[in-house]
Amino acid sequence: MTVKELSEKCNFKTAAMPDGDREIDGCYIGDLLSWVMGRAEENNVWITIMSNQNIIAVASLADVACIVLSEGVTVEDSILRLAEEKGVNILLSDKRTYETAVAVYETI
Amino acid sequence: MKELSLNILDIAMNSVKAKADTVWVTLTETADTFKMQIADNGCGMKEDFLKTVTDPFSTTRTTRKVGMGIPFLLLAAEQTGGSFEITSKHESEYPDSHGTVTTAVFNKNSIDFTPLGDIVSTVTTLIQGSPDIRWIFKHTLPEGEVSLDTDELKEVLGDVPLDNAEVILWIKGYLEEAYSEIE
Repeated sequence: MTVKELSEKCNFKTAAMPDGDREIDGCYIGDLLSWVMGRAEENNVWITIMSNQNIIAVASLADVACIVLSEGVTVEDSILRLAEEKGVNILLSDKRTYETAVAVYETI
Repeated sequence: MKELSLNILDIAMNSVKAKADTVWVTLTETADTFKMQIADNGCGMKEDFLKTVTDPFSTTRTTRKVGMGIPFLLLAAEQTGGSFEITSKHESEYPDSHGTVTTAVFNKNSIDFTPLGDIVSTVTTLIQGSPDIRWIFKHTLPEGEVSLDTDELKEVLGDVPLDNAEVILWIKGYLEEAYSEIE
C-alpha cells in the first residue's frame, strides 16, 4: 500500500505529497514530538494533531511514510512548502484521531 | 519531552559540548510563571549559526550539530503562551566574554505547561557526567530557594572527586532535603 492509495481509500485530503509512491508499513500515533521521534518506525503512517514545523523534522528523522493530521487540524502554507522540500507527505483527516486510526487500520 | 527537567538536561549538554567551564542553571518561579535560564562561558556561536539553531532542519541527520533540544524547548514554551530567547557570543569575536544564554519562560497556568519533573536527578546527572565543570544551580520559588555551587562543594571535599558515588548520593540527598524544606 502506497501513501497515495491510502489517501484515496481513506478519503484523506492531500496537503503535500512529494513522495506518493512511498510504501506504508504500520502506524504510530502521538503528539509529544520527542516521544514520537524515538518510537515511530520507518515507513509508519504517523497520526498527530501537531502542525508546527518540528513535525517535518521529526518525520524526516523517524523516516515515516507520511503524516496524517487528524481532527480537522489545518497546516500553514510555509510548513507545506517545507514538507515538499524535505519530501514529507502530509494528509489531512476531518475524523477524530481514533476514527482516523481505525480507517488506517482497516485500509493497510 | 515529558518533563521540563529533561529539556534542561538537553540544553545543558550543549554547554558541555561547547566546552564551558562554568554553567549556570537558573530557575525562577512566580505563582504564574516559570523561567529557566541556562548560561555558559563555552565557545559560543557565530551569528549565522545562532540564527539556525531554532530551525529543526539545522539539526537533522545529515547536518546535525546540535540536537532537537532547542526546537523542542521553543515549542514547549510557546505552547504555554510563554517566550524563548537564545543569545550567544562566539570566542572569535569575544575572547573574554564568550558564551551562550538560553532563556525560556512558561505560563504555569496553561494546560500545556509540562511539569518540571525530577530536577534533582537532572542536576546530579549533569554533575556526575561533567564533574570538572563548575555547576551553579539556583531554583527560586515563591516559598524559598534551593541552590548548589559545585565550587563550594569542592572546597569542602578537597581531593575527593565530585563524581565519587557517595558524593553524588550526598548531593542528591542535599537537594531533596532542600526541596522538602520549602514545600
